[in-house]
Amino acid sequence: MKVLCEREKLREALAVANNVIPSKSPKPILTNVCIVATAERLELVGTDLDVSVRYSIDEGIKVIDPGTVVVPARVLHDFVRDLAGETVEIEVRGSTCEIRCGEDDCELVTADAEEFPVVSRFDAEGAFTLQAGTFTSLVGRTAFAAAREQGRYAMHGVLVEIGDGLLRMVATDGRRLALAHAPIDTQDRSGPSRPSIVPTKGMQLFCRVMSDALDSVKLHFAEGQVGIRTRNAEVFARLLDGDFPRYSAVIPAESRNFCEAEAEVLERKIRLVANVTGDEARAVRFSLTPGRLELTGQSAGRGAARAHMDVDFKGAPCEIAFNPDYVADGLKNCESSHVRLEFNEKTSPGKFLLGENYVYIVMPITVDG
Amino acid sequence: MSTPTLTILHVDMDAFYASIELRDDPTLAGKPLAVGGAEGARGVISAAGYEARKYGVHSAMPTAQARALCPQLIVLPPDLEKYTAVSREIMQIFRSFTPLVEPLSLDEAFLDVAGCELLFGDAVEIGRAIKLEILRRTGLVASVGVASSKFLAKLASDMDKPDGFRVIRPEEALDVLRPLPVSKIFGVGERTAKRLEALGVRTIGELAALERDVVMQRFGATGAWIHDLAHGIDTRRVTPRREEKSYSCERTFSKDIASREELRLRLLEFCEELAFRLRDSGLRARTVTLKARFSDFKTITRTKSLPFTTNVGVRFYSVARELLERVPQQPLRLLGVSLSGLDDVRTPRQGLLFGSDPGALRAEEAPSPEDERALERLERINTGLDHLRRKYGRATVIPASLLGRAPTVGRDGTRAPR
Repeated sequence: MKVLCEREKLREALAVANNVIPSKSPKPILTNVCIVATAERLELVGTDLDVSVRYSIDEGIKVIDPGTVVVPARVLHDFVRDLAGETVEIEVRGSTCEIRCGEDDCELVTADAEEFPVVSRFDAEGAFTLQAGTFTSLVGRTAFAAAREQGRYAMHGVLVEIGDGLLRMVATDGRRLALAHAPIDTQDRSGPSRPSIVPTKGMQLFCRVMSDALDSVKLHFAEGQVGIRTRNAEVFARLLDGDFPRYSAVIPAESRNFCEAEAEVLERKIRLVANVTGDEARAVRFSLTPGRLELTGQSAGRGAARAHMDVDFKGAPCEIAFNPDYVADGLKNCESSHVRLEFNEKTSPGKFLLGENYVYIVMPITVDG
Repeated sequence: MSTPTLTILHVDMDAFYASIELRDDPTLAGKPLAVGGAEGARGVISAAGYEARKYGVHSAMPTAQARALCPQLIVLPPDLEKYTAVSREIMQIFRSFTPLVEPLSLDEAFLDVAGCELLFGDAVEIGRAIKLEILRRTGLVASVGVASSKFLAKLASDMDKPDGFRVIRPEEALDVLRPLPVSKIFGVGERTAKRLEALGVRTIGELAALERDVVMQRFGATGAWIHDLAHGIDTRRVTPRREEKSYSCERTFSKDIASREELRLRLLEFCEELAFRLRDSGLRARTVTLKARFSDFKTITRTKSLPFTTNVGVRFYSVARELLERVPQQPLRLLGVSLSGLDDVRTPRQGLLFGSDPGALRAEEAPSPEDERALERLERINTGLDHLRRKYGRATVIPASLLGRAPTVGRDGTRAPR
C-alpha cells in the first residue's frame, strides 16, 4: 500500500477515529486504526465494539498502490498532528508502515489486518433522511440529562423515537429529564419497533461527524444497532439493552402554579445564590409571590444568599427547591427569551418549558419534618 | 500546646448489667452472677458480676466454659431495654453538668467539664458529685477517673475499680504511667506488646525512654501515637455525639439455619429493628451490607446501595433479600445486616422521577407505582407508629409475617426489644 494524503485531512480523520478507539483495551487490536486504501478513497476504521466509525477521505489524496494496514491509532494521530509539511506519504513495506512528510519520517509497527473486527457498512435501505442540524440540536437539548453514574444502564443514553412525522429524543438520570422533538420527513414510515437507546458516547460521535448543519444525513435502525451516514463518515452505535423508564408518566399534564421569567436573568441569579450552597445536596429555593420570585440558598458551612427578580406570576404564594446545577443546565439551552416554570407542589416535578417542543423536568429537593 | 488542665472525666459503671440485675433482685446478693446467653445455645457471657469474676469468669467467654469455672454461676438473659433506660438516666446526669459528653457505650463516657467550674466547682468536685448523683438516682456504683486527657482519665477510672475515684494530676502523670505495663496503652494490643517485649520494653516507662524515631521506625504511625501516650500526651478532644458510621444487627443462631424462608424472616426482623433505631436517632441510611457465616465459620459479606437514603424497614429488607440470593445455599451459623451511608433526616433530599431505581432493577422487579405510593405512605405514618412503639413496646406494631414469632436471640442472650 502506498498513499499520498493532505496532512490536515488525515489529521482530522484520525482525530475523529480516535474518539472511538480506546487507548487501552483487553483486546489490544482495538487500539489500532485500520486504514484501507482503494482506488478512489482512503478509509479509516476504528471501533471499541460499542461504537464504530468509518471515515473516508476522497479529496486531497492520491492512491498509488491500494491496500490495507492496521497501525497504533494514538501514535499515528500524534505523529501526523506534529508534522509540519503539507502532504503525508504512507507506505507499507513488509510488516512496517512508513510515514513520511518533508524531511521527517517514522516507521510504525503494524498489526494483522485479519484480526481487526469487521465493521458493518451503512445500509441505506429503510433509512430516514434528515438535516444534520435537526439531529444535533435534539441531541444538544437532551443528552446532558442522561445518567453518568454507574448502575443505571438504560439511562446512559438518549432514547430515540420516530413516529407521526417526528423525531423525538429523551434523556434522564432519574432526577431530571429532557424531552424534545422536531419534525422530519418519515415518508409515512414509522421508526424502529423497539425503543432505541443510543449510548451518550455514540451520540457525541454522531454529532462530531455532522459538522455542517445543512448537510443531509441518513439514519438507520437495525437490530441492536443504529447507524448514521454523513458525507464523510459512517458511524454505528450498539443500542443499550434494558428498559428506558416510562417517561411520559412523569410529565405533569396540568400544573397549579406557573410563572414566566426572563431566562438569562434567572440563570444568572441561580448561579449567584448557588455560590453559598454546600457541595452535597445543593438546593436553591424558589419562593413565588405575585410578580416576584425570591431565590434563596444556604449551607451550614458557608452562609446564606438571596436574590430577587420580577416574574410573571399570579396566584397564591408558593415555593419549591431545586438543585441549582440541574436548573442551570436546562436554562443554558433555553431557546426563547423567557422560560416558563410549572409545578403543583413542592414535592412534585417542576416542568420547565425551554422552547418550542422542548420540555425539561426537574425533581425538587425536599426537606423532611 | 496549652498547659494540660484537669478537665477530662471518664465515668465507667461497675459491672453494669450484672449490677442492675443485682439491684432489682436483692436475693442474688453475694452470689456469682453473669448476664449472657445460655450454654445450650452456644451462648457467651456478655457481662460478669464481681463475685463471678473471682472465679475467672469474664465477658465474651463461652457460657459453658464459665460454668465449668464456676458451677454455681447464675446466668441471666440480658434485658437490653432495661439497661438502655438506666443508661439514658446516667447520660442525663452527665449532661446536667456539661454538654461535652461522649458516650463510649451504654455504661461509659468521657466528659469535658472545662468552663463548668463556676457552676459546679472544679473537675474533682464535679466527678464526686456525678458519682454521688448516679448512686442516688440509680442505686448503681460508678468508677470515675479525672485527668487532663482522655487516655489518663480512662486509666484513672480503671485504677481502683470497683467504686473507684482516682485523680491523675498533670504533674504526677509520668510517675503514674512509668510502672504500668505497656498493654495499658490504648492501641497496644497483644501483638504490639509482644513486639515491644522483644525490644526489652515491658512498662510504659521503658517505652517512654525509647527514642521517638526508633519507635516510629518499628511501628509507623502507631509508634508515634503510643510513644506520645507513654509520655501522657493525648490531644484527642471530647466530642459529643460521636458520628456513627453504621447501624448493625447480627445473630449467631443456636442451631444453623438452612431454610431460606426462615432466613428471610430473620432479615425482615433485623431490618425492621435497624430502621426503628435509625428513626429513633433521626437518621436515614443508604447502603445495606449482609453478613453470613457458614457452619465452617467461613464468613462472607454482600453489599448494595439504594439510590436514596431511607429509614423504612421494608426498603432495606428488599435489598437484604436480594443480597441473600447471592449467598450460597448452605446452612448459616450467623446472619447479620448492617446499614451505612447515614444521613440526617433534616438533610435536603433530591426527589426522584421514577421512584426506586428503574435502571438497576429489571422491569419485572421494579416496584409498581402503587407499591411506591404504599411505601411513601408507610414512611409518613412511621412517625405515629414509632410513637406507639415507644409508648407500648416495640411489638405493638410489627409486620404481619413476624406475628407470633419470638424475636431472634443472640449468642450473648440479647434480643431485639419487644
